[in-house]
Amino acid sequence: MKSAVTTVLTVADAASRFPSISDIEAVKGSLDRASARMEAAEKLAAGIDKVTTDAVDAVYGKGSYEQTNKDKCARDIHHYLRLINYCLVTGGTGPLDEWGIAGMREVIRVQLLPTAAYVEAFTHIRDRVCVPRDMSPQAAAEFKSLLDYLINALA
Amino acid sequence: MLDAFSRAVVSADAKGAPIGTEDLANLRKYVADANKRIDATLAITQNVSCIAADAVAGMVCENTGMTQPGGNCYPTRRMAACLRDGEIILRYVSYALLAGDSSVLDDRCLNGLKETYQALGVPLSNAIRAVEIMKIATVAIMTETNTGRKMFEGINSGSGAQCKEIAAEAASYFDRVITALS
Repeated sequence: MKSAVTTVLTVADAASRFPSISDIEAVKGSLDRASARMEAAEKLAAGIDKVTTDAVDAVYGKGSYEQTNKDKCARDIHHYLRLINYCLVTGGTGPLDEWGIAGMREVIRVQLLPTAAYVEAFTHIRDRVCVPRDMSPQAAAEFKSLLDYLINALA
Repeated sequence: MLDAFSRAVVSADAKGAPIGTEDLANLRKYVADANKRIDATLAITQNVSCIAADAVAGMVCENTGMTQPGGNCYPTRRMAACLRDGEIILRYVSYALLAGDSSVLDDRCLNGLKETYQALGVPLSNAIRAVEIMKIATVAIMTETNTGRKMFEGINSGSGAQCKEIAAEAASYFDRVITALS
């Protein structure tokens, strides 16, 4: 699992050397941002159901749709938000890459689903993040950059 | 390879739940103690050859037959292999300590180590003794309870007494090595 620390250690191990001062500085640098990331992860975990419902409602609008379809959409959005929560904790895009994005295109295409709907949902979530009501500016920046990463992968 | 953060992610994923306040408490502690952890890692990296050489020398002193013809550390080529292995184990312990998780040590160093040593005819009891001495020396250097001068320069000017908890964690990684070889 790729994270700030494991990336550094993988490189050090490939060269079979001990962690150097620059390795340690790199770890320290990523940990300096950790409190903002953890704040975002905590707030997201607390409001994940509300955020999901909100996004699904925004995508479907007022029209009448089958509830089962809406539920499946909500399930997927919840899944991606959970992976973003994990990415916020590890400080890298490892969880999204390994569990969310790898193979995603193929699965979505084979089910004839429109990725545009997901893009719209995550764009809606990104634009709705309110500073400082929801989280601090640094935490919001970390959260939004991961949402952008996911939107780019879906687009 | 996992660290404290990705370990939390893997166990949360098994439950299918996001990581909430409870799980974050441990990780916040990791972040709060990061400076001590870095100093403790430096205590190892700055004294690698000293720790490994002392451990192997200690092991040989307790079993002087090892450097005699027919012993496992005779000729010097085999003694050198022994020193090299001591440094490799220390290296993986330092990775595990920095990561705050033992998976790198387990996967890349300990998995199959006992079988390898058995196949090569390395006496396990002596290897275990060398690891024990490395553990004692490392903890003493980290906590500044060694006799003589202070043996490492931390970048955070932390004193060794503050590294006690982290030193206990380092000792637990050495214990994993000993368990793997037993």
